[in-house]
Amino acid sequence: MSAAVYEGGCLCGAVRYRAQGASLGVEYCHCGMCRRASGAPVVVWADFPTERVTWVAGQPTWRRSSAGAERGFCAACGTALAFRGDRSPEQASLSVGSLDDPARLAPQQHIYVAERLPWLAIADDLPRYERGTNR
Amino acid sequence: MPTMSEAVYEGGCLCGAVRYRAQGAPLSAPYCHCSLCRRAAGAPVVAWATFAVEDFAFTRGTPLRYASSTRATRQFCGRCGSQLTFQYNEGATDIDVTIATLDEPRRVAPTEHLWLGDRVPWLKIVDDLPRHERSRRS
Repeated sequence: MSAAVYEGGCLCGAVRYRAQGASLGVEYCHCGMCRRASGAPVVVWADFPTERVTWVAGQPTWRRSSAGAERGFCAACGTALAFRGDRSPEQASLSVGSLDDPARLAPQQHIYVAERLPWLAIADDLPRYERGTNR
Repeated sequence: MPTMSEAVYEGGCLCGAVRYRAQGAPLSAPYCHCSLCRRAAGAPVVAWATFAVEDFAFTRGTPLRYASSTRATRQFCGRCGSQLTFQYNEGATDIDVTIATLDEPRRVAPTEHLWLGDRVPWLKIVDDLPRHERSRRS
């Protein structure tokens, strides 16, 4: 049996990625920085071991968005693609909205719910954390 | 100049290189579930605030432009990637601004859902807003 393969990329196609194997976790992030970075009311991240993520076309442009983290986006169309935190270099997060088939990776929790937009009425039974989890 | 009673909405990208200002009440505020908005933002859904073209201006920096189809152009910050606007190319009288890049996104609540036919199945937004499988006209 072959391992799961997840492919995706930006809107214009300049940057493409592939992640192999099961994701470590998938979470809605309601924080204000994810919102601004994407331009969307909530972002969903899929976390993978860094060594299982390959950039197969182009490279994201990385920009430090806070003291402890960098975000990768496509310089040609802006798509928010990836997040990596200095405290967990072994893990890379990919934006589920940029996957070719985002239906395959359903979120398992909500984080930074304290910053949630009050009008975003997502109704599900997933665990909700006011801030981050301690992973 | 806006009158005192006229609403003013300011916003910008994550890094602050591009800032904008809109005035007057938004003409509409659709959630868009289409696959192009999803890819552009890298997020499951985008929410837009629509303003008349003459009521919107960039006040700092210049965004980059990307023709996301033959009919429309998206603008984003070239330094940090934030998706900022969507506009049709031909004869557009309005411009869509991402609510998420407003300084106070709580002030503009969405008024409808568009392109639900493209919706991500696990995204369960429960509200009483009008729902359209495709655009508003379908």
